[in-house]
Amino acid sequence: MKTNQPSSARGMEYWRSLEHLADGPEIRELMSKEFPGYDVDELVSGSRRKFLKLMGASMALAGVTLTGCRRWPEEKLHPYSTNPRDRMPGVPVQYATAYEIGGVAQPLLVTSYDGRPIKIDGNPSHPFSWTIQDKLGSADVFSQATILDMYDPQRSRSVVSYAPARAESSWEKFAAFAKSHFAGLKSNGKSLAILSEASSGPSMADMRKRLLEAYPGARWYEYEPITRDNETEGAKLAFGKPVRTVLNLDKAQTVVLLDADPLGMHPAHVKYAADWATGRRTADDGKMSRVYIAEGGFSLTGSNADVRLPVNPARLYAIARAIAGKLGVADIPADEKLSDLETKFVNAAVTDLQASGKDGLVASGGVMPPAGQALVHAINEKLGAVGNTVTLLEDPTAGDVSHGQAISQLATEMAAGQFTTLLILGGNPVYDAPADVSFEAAMAKAPVSIHLAQYENETSQQCKWHLPQAHFLESWGDARAWDGTAGIVQPLIMPLYEGKSAIEVLAMLSRDPITDGHEIVKRTWAGLLDKDGFDLAIRKVIESGLLPGSAFKTADVQVKSQEFPPSAAAAGGYYLRFQPDWHTYDGRFANNGWLQETPDPLTKLVWDNAALVSKKNADALGLTTGTLLRIETAEKYGKHSIEIAAYVMPGQPDGVITLPLGYGRSAAGHIGDDVGINTYAVRTSEGPLLNSGARLSLAPGSYVLVSTQDHYLFDTIGMEGTEKRIGHKNESGMIVREATLTEFKENPRCVHGNGTKRTIGLQLFQEPVKLDNVPDTHAWGMSIDMNSCIGCNACTIACQSENNIPVVGKAQANMHRSMNWIRIDRYFKADDRHAEDPGIEVVYQPMTCQQCENAPCEQVCPVGATVHDTEGINTMVYNRCIGTRYCSNNCPYKVRRFNYLDYQAQDPRQNWAKPYLNIPDQQQLDEVNKIKWMLFNPEVSVRMRGVMEKCTYCVQRIHRTTIAKRAEGTPLMDGDIVTACQQACPTQAIVFGDLNDRNSKVSKLQRNPRAYGVLQEELDTRPRTQYLAKIRNPSSEEVKKEA
Amino acid sequence: MFSWHGRLARACDPAGARPPCHMRDGRVMTAIPANLAIDNTSDDPRRRAPLVLGGLDFAGITREVSKVAERPMTLAWKISFVFALSWLGILGLCIGYLFTTGVGVWGNNQPVGWGFPIVNFVFWVGIGHAGTLISAILFLFRQTWRTGINRFAEAMTIFAVICAAMFPGIHVGRPWLAYWLFPIPNQMSYWPQFRSPLLWDVFAVSTYATVSVLFWYVGLVPDLATFRDRSTSKIKQFIYGIFALGWNGSARHWHRYERAYLILAALATPLVLSVHSVVSFDFATSQIPGWHTTIFPPYFVAGAIYGGFAMVLVLAIPARQFFGLKDIITMRHIENMCKIMLGTGLIVGYAYMTEFWTAWYSTNTFEKFTFWNRVFGPYMFGWIIMTFCNVVAPQVLWSKKMRTNLWVVMTCAILANIGMWFERFEIIITSMTRDFLPTSWHVFKPTAIDLLMLAGSFGLFFTLFLLFCRFLPVVAIAEVKTVLPEAHPHTHGPKPSGDERKADFRPDQPVFA
Repeated sequence: MKTNQPSSARGMEYWRSLEHLADGPEIRELMSKEFPGYDVDELVSGSRRKFLKLMGASMALAGVTLTGCRRWPEEKLHPYSTNPRDRMPGVPVQYATAYEIGGVAQPLLVTSYDGRPIKIDGNPSHPFSWTIQDKLGSADVFSQATILDMYDPQRSRSVVSYAPARAESSWEKFAAFAKSHFAGLKSNGKSLAILSEASSGPSMADMRKRLLEAYPGARWYEYEPITRDNETEGAKLAFGKPVRTVLNLDKAQTVVLLDADPLGMHPAHVKYAADWATGRRTADDGKMSRVYIAEGGFSLTGSNADVRLPVNPARLYAIARAIAGKLGVADIPADEKLSDLETKFVNAAVTDLQASGKDGLVASGGVMPPAGQALVHAINEKLGAVGNTVTLLEDPTAGDVSHGQAISQLATEMAAGQFTTLLILGGNPVYDAPADVSFEAAMAKAPVSIHLAQYENETSQQCKWHLPQAHFLESWGDARAWDGTAGIVQPLIMPLYEGKSAIEVLAMLSRDPITDGHEIVKRTWAGLLDKDGFDLAIRKVIESGLLPGSAFKTADVQVKSQEFPPSAAAAGGYYLRFQPDWHTYDGRFANNGWLQETPDPLTKLVWDNAALVSKKNADALGLTTGTLLRIETAEKYGKHSIEIAAYVMPGQPDGVITLPLGYGRSAAGHIGDDVGINTYAVRTSEGPLLNSGARLSLAPGSYVLVSTQDHYLFDTIGMEGTEKRIGHKNESGMIVREATLTEFKENPRCVHGNGTKRTIGLQLFQEPVKLDNVPDTHAWGMSIDMNSCIGCNACTIACQSENNIPVVGKAQANMHRSMNWIRIDRYFKADDRHAEDPGIEVVYQPMTCQQCENAPCEQVCPVGATVHDTEGINTMVYNRCIGTRYCSNNCPYKVRRFNYLDYQAQDPRQNWAKPYLNIPDQQQLDEVNKIKWMLFNPEVSVRMRGVMEKCTYCVQRIHRTTIAKRAEGTPLMDGDIVTACQQACPTQAIVFGDLNDRNSKVSKLQRNPRAYGVLQEELDTRPRTQYLAKIRNPSSEEVKKEA
Repeated sequence: MFSWHGRLARACDPAGARPPCHMRDGRVMTAIPANLAIDNTSDDPRRRAPLVLGGLDFAGITREVSKVAERPMTLAWKISFVFALSWLGILGLCIGYLFTTGVGVWGNNQPVGWGFPIVNFVFWVGIGHAGTLISAILFLFRQTWRTGINRFAEAMTIFAVICAAMFPGIHVGRPWLAYWLFPIPNQMSYWPQFRSPLLWDVFAVSTYATVSVLFWYVGLVPDLATFRDRSTSKIKQFIYGIFALGWNGSARHWHRYERAYLILAALATPLVLSVHSVVSFDFATSQIPGWHTTIFPPYFVAGAIYGGFAMVLVLAIPARQFFGLKDIITMRHIENMCKIMLGTGLIVGYAYMTEFWTAWYSTNTFEKFTFWNRVFGPYMFGWIIMTFCNVVAPQVLWSKKMRTNLWVVMTCAILANIGMWFERFEIIITSMTRDFLPTSWHVFKPTAIDLLMLAGSFGLFFTLFLLFCRFLPVVAIAEVKTVLPEAHPHTHGPKPSGDERKADFRPDQPVFA
């Protein structure tokens, strides 16, 4: 040991305190106590040499690691100097509002984070979006994705005048123009035409009235490219007045659908799906509804039906007539000539309908001609279903003129030069009007045309003025749900750009003294609510999002006795069946990247539309998926044609080509321009959803369609391999399990087929600690019911929105690099796997991280970036991940997603990866649009490139709730924590909860005999997510045959 | 019929002027006069086949080997070098693009997390096997024929390991953090995850690289001294001088050298077996069908030796031609390597069969599917190439005529390298394209960057190899001398004349007196 040498012997001394300098034995003892295991000499000696040595090494290391000299991005803080009342920074707040699409409100609950709306869910107070009253509300894919539209930097930002050339203008200039121009229209109101989208809100109706009063004689037309014209006409035929049908699927035992799609594209599909699931979930009690469908395409509902018959849409009326005849409706003779398959279908349906009586129902979709619609009403009346499984409501919103007629009429009148001024409120008629109407040419005849729209779209470009429309999250308004319940649309944010709502523009043009949206709504609602306590009453409506008891009145109607003519023979040529697209609806969501990349439920296509062709037709035409097909309309509607890639669709009826609408936009914005093919180009005024007599031929060349599933599967080896995994038709496979209701009733364990049951005694790694009896410990788990899942994608979008999941683009999707954390695996099952099998069956299996107890990913990560937490979640530590991708390789479910490029910062429309020369983790700061930046959920890391990511059961939600509960001192109850996918699921197929709690819903579901872990028996991964096997309910005739 | 011995005895000593050297074991060794084409490929257990032909003596060997580095750059070398260097440049550009963009420039996708980079990694690590096998295992087994080829086989090992080590480093998503794979705890005392085979890989490859470099360098020291002493330029003298570590050929130096070499050989021997076994654990310990196989460690090692020897041949055959080293790397060397290739090739073929047997016998649906898919699925071409190159092609090496035909040998060796690359492609990529859930199945298509990087890695390899040929002794001069009959002075043969001795005396010469 060194002694206390005179300092001069060692040169300059550095010391911490006088005691230190003195270096007495006490200080040494103190040091040795404080730093046990270290040499005291080393600690006390602070020579200059050692100091320099240490500093030198530190500097060198700082340089070596490249981070020492990093300049971190500068940010400015703007703290509230005085906190506004009721505002807690960082605590999300939720507001009720509604989104109107096609004249029907989708009731919503929007989460706002420090003034930024970031997530849209269904309104749990509203019967048309709750799945658990006052607890869980669901919203469909479109409503949820509108949040992305709201932050779309390409939304129109200012008033634009197009006369003579495009020039940015302002509201002031437009107001000045309108003042003089519209003054001239006052006397001669006839020269003003207004074309609006369908709307249901009382304020809009009020403003419409006021405008028409201000300009007497002005004409108002309503047009939606996807209409319910046939339903309305059918109701008029049956009852003499428009009636709105509400199905009560929860009460129905037998549901016969004639090309109706209540679970898919119907405006009330959220409620319908929830109700349908109620009738299916009872399978565990041995009873379940039975769904028959005869359809001219392959709809989401069709894929969930028990008995499905693909038919030419021309045959729908004949089938309805046959059913009516057999049920003895209105003395219709049972003289329909049906094919064998049709007869089988009709007989089975009639048998079950008769057995169900008033618990049965028949419904038809927009393709069914009005006479068929009336016939369906008659059948329901005959069954006694009206008032039980079917509710008929007065429909005051239905106009006298159908939308199809309206657009033709307007075009004709405009072409005749009848109008000097055309005001278009929303919509995009230049793009989506029927092809033979030539709306664009007619519009050119109107000297002044004004278009209010969220985007400067195809129609705007043909107008003289374009006005930016405010997003519904930016403006006040109101709307009615499918049953007529009125609610107020409240904004969550000031308009990001200069947008105004339709009612505000109407107020401005009709010289209304009130021009503010909020005031307009209040004025309208003053008439709907009591004068006394109006402020409180409207506040209640705004808070809850609806006015209870404001639904349309039940219609007291009887089907008029009438002659139902016999069915006509099918027309020649091919039928073209148009349907709203799962990505763009009618084209309005074309610029929405989330929707573009959410796979179509059945084709799994992304970023495209395709002509769906049956296998038989495809073979006859000599085409395969990706072949270009030339489609020509019937000659009497003029020569319109398109070239579009074909997709060979199993279960597609022969002679029918399904064409999804909403693609091929030319002025949608950067994301949506020139994606897919515009099928409106061959849609004529023959009908909005069905055209006949089309001719098909092959066009030269082929096209790359990108689907997220089933790429290159079509070799024999792959087919055989798939079959073993998913099982033959009506059989359980390894990963997909199912049974019929009868089999299930006999032996509930039969769903597991002959799958090996084995337990592996010997474990390589330590067993997960069981904390059953320790209070306040949790074992999170999930249950996914394949019997309830309808494959609607709501969970996928919800997850994308909640977890800041990027859009990768078509080129990257083609390389199979989609980022969705939850995907819906869709399996077709057919006899001998022939795509021609008419009885093809579909299974949906939502697949996301299974949170395995024996997680294969955790064992192989070299840096420990994916680890188990004490509550059983397989967590991802993003900033620890270096991206070896080993975890993904070893994941048998392939649910991990890798950021091959910086997808947040890369342009999804770019086909090649753009280099970024700065420090990689700054790329998003530099490249991501600052407006889009506002959309990010601040509770979830935005991942950079080179990092693996995956589902973590919405761990941010778990912790937010547990922390809040702990702070409150209240116990965490089952159902307090809801994952994003669970919240969005309209059928409650996804249930999340605590497995330590024996009474939690998820524990009970995991004890259900249908429960199984995918690949558990094969790999012993012990997934925390369990699936419930699918139960099918084939027709009673089929059951009899089996017995 | 009767071997080289009769012919040789006649050829080298027609008049019986020089009696054959008698070795301690009773076998006969004869010095070979110059300018005689001798076939030394036959085996007569009574006579030791000469390993240096062309009448080269100690001085001759030094002269012949040094000539390669001392003569002015040939045009062929210059062209080759420029060619290799430009591919290296392309590799550099690709890496630059990769770093500024992300690993998405490759064709890797959702089921196929590992694509070309890992295929290339395993391929190059495999190539790197032969060198240390030749230097360590054959050394311990006293296979003296190794001396002719060990130097550049070892060099090849090191360059291959450099190529290999590059790929895992750049294949990670955030390559600037690749050092997190090293056992350095972070500021939270968080260590890497030791259960992960990827980490074992880092240890295995880095240990292997370290020992290989040491082994190579220790062996180089006497020869570097030779170069130092022969070079006329001050700069070269200085540089070689530094690396020769003051070698002066003293008995003490030789003693230390021999000890060190022996110890390193003993250290390197288990590494030959361990490194590729550990690489195979990356696959064997995971649970993807087609990866999850206990046969992998021996199968990988055998394959690596097969591919490694093939690569030595690919380098040796042109090298002996261009550098005039036919008398040092003789047909016997080539034939021996062919035999090893044949042997290991048979092991590889056997392993392939075993895999199929196991897949069938296990009755595991996924396993069976994977192997069936490998043969008849979308990557059928890969399987056919692999089987042809690794199982069918080496069978010609049963025939001595083929083994001694350089064109045949060269073709076989190139095919073996192609086959071994495809073997890794089949294992890594086909297994992953179709695993458990059919919904995530997807094919893998390499991008242009994938292909350019593969070619670029050859650019790196050949650039290093050409530099090695230019500046370092391509044959272990000192070691080759030990296999000359003259290096065994205890025999009763005639001593070299005094003049010869004088001319031959250099400090770098081993003296076995």
